[in-house]
Amino acid sequence: MNLLGLEWFNPGFLLLLPLAILPWFNHNLDKTVAWVNLVPIDPLSRFFNIGLKVLSTGVIAALILALAGPSLPEQKIERIGEGAEIVLLLDRSRSMDDPFAVKHQAAVVSVGGDDSKRNVAREYLTEFVRNRPDDRFGFVFFSTKSVNLLPLTYDKEVVLATINANALGKGLSDTNMAEALLSSAEMFEGQAYRGSRIVLLVSDGGQLLSDEAKEQISRLYKEMNLSIYWIYLKSNQAMTLEESEEDSLLWVDIPERKLHNFFKSIGVPYRVFEAGSLEAFAEALAEIDRQHYQTLIVEETLPHEPKTDALLWLALLAVLLLAASHVYTFWGVKKAHE
Amino acid sequence: MRLSYQKRITLTAIIMVVALLLVMAALWMPHIQRDVKIMDALFVIDITDSMNVQDATVNGETVSRLDWAKEFTRRTFLDMPCGAHAGLAIFSEARSLILMNPVEVCNSYHDLTQMLNQFDPHMAWARSSEVSKAVYTAIRQAKEIEPEPTIVFVTDGHESPPLHESLFPKFDGKPGEIHGVIVGVGGEDLLPIPKTNEQGEIEGVWGVNDVMHQDVYASLRSDTTTNVPKARTEHLSSQKKSHLQTLADRVGFEYVSSPTKPGKLVDAIRKVSETRPQTIDYDLYAWFSAIALALILLVYLPYGWFIRTDD
Repeated sequence: MNLLGLEWFNPGFLLLLPLAILPWFNHNLDKTVAWVNLVPIDPLSRFFNIGLKVLSTGVIAALILALAGPSLPEQKIERIGEGAEIVLLLDRSRSMDDPFAVKHQAAVVSVGGDDSKRNVAREYLTEFVRNRPDDRFGFVFFSTKSVNLLPLTYDKEVVLATINANALGKGLSDTNMAEALLSSAEMFEGQAYRGSRIVLLVSDGGQLLSDEAKEQISRLYKEMNLSIYWIYLKSNQAMTLEESEEDSLLWVDIPERKLHNFFKSIGVPYRVFEAGSLEAFAEALAEIDRQHYQTLIVEETLPHEPKTDALLWLALLAVLLLAASHVYTFWGVKKAHE
Repeated sequence: MRLSYQKRITLTAIIMVVALLLVMAALWMPHIQRDVKIMDALFVIDITDSMNVQDATVNGETVSRLDWAKEFTRRTFLDMPCGAHAGLAIFSEARSLILMNPVEVCNSYHDLTQMLNQFDPHMAWARSSEVSKAVYTAIRQAKEIEPEPTIVFVTDGHESPPLHESLFPKFDGKPGEIHGVIVGVGGEDLLPIPKTNEQGEIEGVWGVNDVMHQDVYASLRSDTTTNVPKARTEHLSSQKKSHLQTLADRVGFEYVSSPTKPGKLVDAIRKVSETRPQTIDYDLYAWFSAIALALILLVYLPYGWFIRTDD
């Protein structure tokens, strides 16, 4: 609960606060005298009397407030860091269940094993995220419909948990690349520009995009100052995204190449990493690591700060004086009775 | 009981000194180590069309089952003890898709709710709703997560296409191997189901002729015991309590129907989970200050209202 700009852990205790006025209605410690007028008017003792009541009220109030557990709410501060804002666009299609980087066709049949592209991508992305403390990550759910599942966050635990979850189970039958690319760009909408913005696509295939989608993507990516990094997980070692002399006929005009050409043509910073082996994948991530150490403003959350101790100090001071005064009274009364 | 003036003065002095010591202890006593029991839970939220039926209530307002599921899940996060972990998954078609593995519920509360807010019917990748199979996939995938989470499956139990009791999909795991709670949502009355289009927008409701009304396999059989003609109501939906109970028994889960207090669900999760102890720093200040407060109040309570204290 929020009150007076503080968060209260046990706000229920605040209901006890009226008890703090009890000392003012209290005669437990009064000495009955035969006739009040016998008591001389003594300004000093009046002062002490009121002082003791204030102290009592103070200690009761301080203890109740301390029990209610106030703390300063979490605060966001900005500091200069080095890093980037990265939206992860992980292909969750069925083909990602296939083994990564096989050398010959026969090995393709072992679906969903430890060496599946999905698992490999998870391992390396985990490393990547761990090594980039200042980066902010977002995660796009990539299916027939795309959803900005995890808005940009600094919470590494959450990002890693999302990456790990992505490696579980089988892939989805339909994925829509155009939607996912647009959705990733939307992640930055309404966000202050802090430094480098990257959409990191990890996929093992391309898709043909409609002209309308292409137009939208290129407009949005330019507008929002995005870079596209594509880690292309090859199924076949020999295939390259760039056309070459030794191309097999099968590779001409495949969607991957079309997508690659499209990314090259839209005039935003674009890099492709063709990961044909584990080493190549690791290198691709290391390369991104080196590339994108730009200064950017990093938002950091300071955990909430308990304010209980201040109240306890107050209570301590008041109760110290009260105890001293009551012990003195006790000593005085004892003396008088002797 | 009446105390003499002198005794009162003596007692007050003693109480004040003890209170002083207690406040000092509250300030300076080192934290002690204490074990709390924490659990890991994986919340699977049904996002199929029947969850759009508006027959759940949040704060007195009638909302869709999905909205209720999201709100109740969020409040459950708040009621889980810090140190407990929560993950998120959605269910559509015939499978549960895990979206976030369990993360610490207090530190990551913000991101957990951010993700939860995104859950929407248009994330569904197909327009069928095979609850039992989805529970089975959730169980299979939970086994791959370390430590194995307790599954909290929030659904109305509406199977589409319908299932005949005798033709339940086979569960190949061991019941109770993965612990779980099925949380039923939805009312008693059969209500029309809003229909979502390709874009996930609601467009009218499912008509009586849009859906199958009988188990596909049962309808192929000629024997009348499994193939009893029944009312064609599969285009309408209510919370399928007996079905969810059967399903829960089959996989060794608990079934909680429309819980009202998140705390109760947390208790149910704790009861079925294999909780693991986690040592936390426990500050005793609250105990010391509470006792000090109680003692000081003893001095100032208006006893005079009840008994004569003057002498």
